[in-house]
Amino acid sequence: MLFNSVAFLIFLPVVVLLYYLLPQKFCWVLLLAASYVFYGSWKIEFLCLIIFSTIVDFYVGKLMHRATEKWRRNALLAVSLTANLGLLFVFKYLVLFLPPMDPMIANIYTVDHPFLGFIVQGIYFTIPVGISFYTFQTLSYTIDIYHRRIEPETHIGHFALFVTFFPQLVAGPIERFSRLMPQLKEKHQATYRQFQKAFRLMLYGFFIKMCIADNLSPLVDMVYDNPALFNGWSTWFGTFGFGLQIYTDFAGYSLIAQGAALCLGINLIDNFKTPYFSTSIGEFWNRWHISLSNWFRDYLYIPLGGNKVSLLRWSVNILAVFIISGFWHGANYTFLIWGAIHGLLYLVERGINARKRLPQTRLVRFIGGILIFASVNLAWLFFRIDTLTDVPNHVSQLFHSTGATVLELTWPLVAMLGVFLVFELLLYNNRIDRLLDKFNLPLRWTIYALFVWCITAWAGVTNHPFIYFQF
Amino acid sequence: MHKGLHTTLKIAIRLLVGAVVLFSFNLIYWKYFWMKDLDKHGPMLYNLIEIQDTFDAFYFGESSNFTTHPDDYNQLRISDNISAEFEGWRLGALNHGAYHVGMFRPLVSRVHNFKNRKTVIVTMNLRTFNQDVIYSPSEANLQLSTRFYKRSPALLNRVFVSFNYYDNRSGHERDLLKWKAWTYDTLKSTYDSISFEKNTIRRWCEVPKFLDSNGVQDDAKRQLADQYIKAYAFQIDEHNPMLKEFDDLVGIAKRKNLNLVFNLIPENIEDAQLYIGDNLVWLMRSNRDFLVERYTEQGILVVDNLELLESKHFIDRAVIPQEHYDAEGRERVGKSVANALKNQRTNVTDPE
Repeated sequence: MLFNSVAFLIFLPVVVLLYYLLPQKFCWVLLLAASYVFYGSWKIEFLCLIIFSTIVDFYVGKLMHRATEKWRRNALLAVSLTANLGLLFVFKYLVLFLPPMDPMIANIYTVDHPFLGFIVQGIYFTIPVGISFYTFQTLSYTIDIYHRRIEPETHIGHFALFVTFFPQLVAGPIERFSRLMPQLKEKHQATYRQFQKAFRLMLYGFFIKMCIADNLSPLVDMVYDNPALFNGWSTWFGTFGFGLQIYTDFAGYSLIAQGAALCLGINLIDNFKTPYFSTSIGEFWNRWHISLSNWFRDYLYIPLGGNKVSLLRWSVNILAVFIISGFWHGANYTFLIWGAIHGLLYLVERGINARKRLPQTRLVRFIGGILIFASVNLAWLFFRIDTLTDVPNHVSQLFHSTGATVLELTWPLVAMLGVFLVFELLLYNNRIDRLLDKFNLPLRWTIYALFVWCITAWAGVTNHPFIYFQF
Repeated sequence: MHKGLHTTLKIAIRLLVGAVVLFSFNLIYWKYFWMKDLDKHGPMLYNLIEIQDTFDAFYFGESSNFTTHPDDYNQLRISDNISAEFEGWRLGALNHGAYHVGMFRPLVSRVHNFKNRKTVIVTMNLRTFNQDVIYSPSEANLQLSTRFYKRSPALLNRVFVSFNYYDNRSGHERDLLKWKAWTYDTLKSTYDSISFEKNTIRRWCEVPKFLDSNGVQDDAKRQLADQYIKAYAFQIDEHNPMLKEFDDLVGIAKRKNLNLVFNLIPENIEDAQLYIGDNLVWLMRSNRDFLVERYTEQGILVVDNLELLESKHFIDRAVIPQEHYDAEGRERVGKSVANALKNQRTNVTDPE
């Protein structure tokens, strides 16, 4: 079930209504059932993967907590890692090592062998939605128990809800057990203020996803499909447009997720904080996909030694973390290179700062911001492009365009980009629900009306699933 | 005031203001933006709105109506050929490649209720009922357009499209359903001299064909033969979704007092016989009989052109079984429909 679907617009209010009507002790059953319905609406078969992951991690967690011997705890951690990363490997990366398959052959095979066919489809064509997110979330649970940072959950139903909580199930934010579980167990009272905040988060989320990302998507696709067709300006717009598209798509999703969770009284962490206004790569990663950055910091970077190792080792670790985070996005070498570029930029930045720390004047920060914006957006080229062999052609078209076609920007899109830019500036170090508190009622309602108008009349038309669903 | 009541009142006022705002937005959208969206995403309704007050009748068709073939001695469409038979009678053609009754039905529902009974001719393509069309990969885009054709407030249709409230299953998913149907939908004979030893499309396609004396297969002919099986080896029954669309269309025409005419367009029976044989032709004819009988009984004029044309009139006959006719073919289909309308005028009522 997509957030931007009529089904979800009906599903959410029904769940919220039942949630506040039911006695507290049944709320987890409702949310778990709702989450399974939400996830199963994509492909019911993939529910068995999430249930498998839930069962493995629940019992591993319990056994690990009881175990006192180091080897037993290590073995149990290995079981959890193998099960979760194994799932991820089979459904996301195995395709790299297999010969290509014709979609039609896969369909015929699925008709003849439904069970194996569903696995083949999952490996080649329809990666189970959100697998990278929920496997990472459950991994953080077992690793935290391993390090005795948390106590294991004793109720499998509650644990299953932690794994599948529908607002953040398919594309995060990746939550920690210690933060989410207590909220899921708590008794929540419906308040006007809470729904007001949720409405604001969701409204702005829908606006940036449906009006900015979905309207940019066809333009970006056209340029990436055939850059030689377009003139210089259009090629640059399409290339940089992807940076804006992926940001508004994913940040939009995260805001809707936060809003949906808040309707149930649950606070999810902020996943984006106006990342394109960052003045350094380090700052960018503190503002972009924050829950994943934190995950890699806590469960990969720090275990590798953090900053308490030699400079050479630290540099290798940084590069490794960025490359792995790139690879997390998908089974393509282009993601590896995207991650490596960010790793190198980070190392260069740290190198410069180590030699001579630049004064943090407005001018320096401004120039830094421009450089980071340009580098990050050019790096997106590797993220978006289909194959590495397309890169030279695309880059050469940026600087020596051979085409004459001009991308057609409609005036509603230009107007909405303007509105978005204004709000991004206002939202620097702020959040939409808090920002709107500062405005008086008429201005607030004008803003609501503006967003509602854009969503209803000017949203993108063709079907664009959230980009991060494929990860 | 009691706090609970205050909150309820606050929410009620907001809901009321929200409803007024949405109502106003619908008016603004309908007046200033709707036609632009239609032009882009729902072109047939755009055309219908443009022409419906100035034409006496409408022809809803797909690519069978026109040609892009350079060798044709004229470019007249089937609808032009019908129109030519009635002096002063203005027949507006609305055609779009790959469209089918699923799109025509909501469009016909948008035809105004006129004082004079208007004639609406709708193309009835036998292949529309097959699994290849029902599960076509282009269906998602067609369904998107269809959403714009529905008789709901303009802004609501727009919202439904952007919130994915239409059948937008991917081509891959549809292909899987098609293969399921080709594997499990069985053919049954009700005629003594016809039997289906290979009673599913898949099994029938797997049979070796066009083998020479050395057992070597003529691949080109075999592929074309298989295309014929995939196109016509089906039996229309009450569960066929396209049949329901045609039934609904009949209901709409009756409510709107339209003179609904189905133009059952020609198929290449000659090549179906040549490449496959009696079994396939029997299926084509029995499907035709089913449709003609069903809709004639409901008082609809069904012009049966299924066997009107010889193979030479099918432009794509060497590649694929498809209803793309040469100029003479279109002329003959047009004349056939016109004659049926003339007969109807003589027997029942004026086509206008």
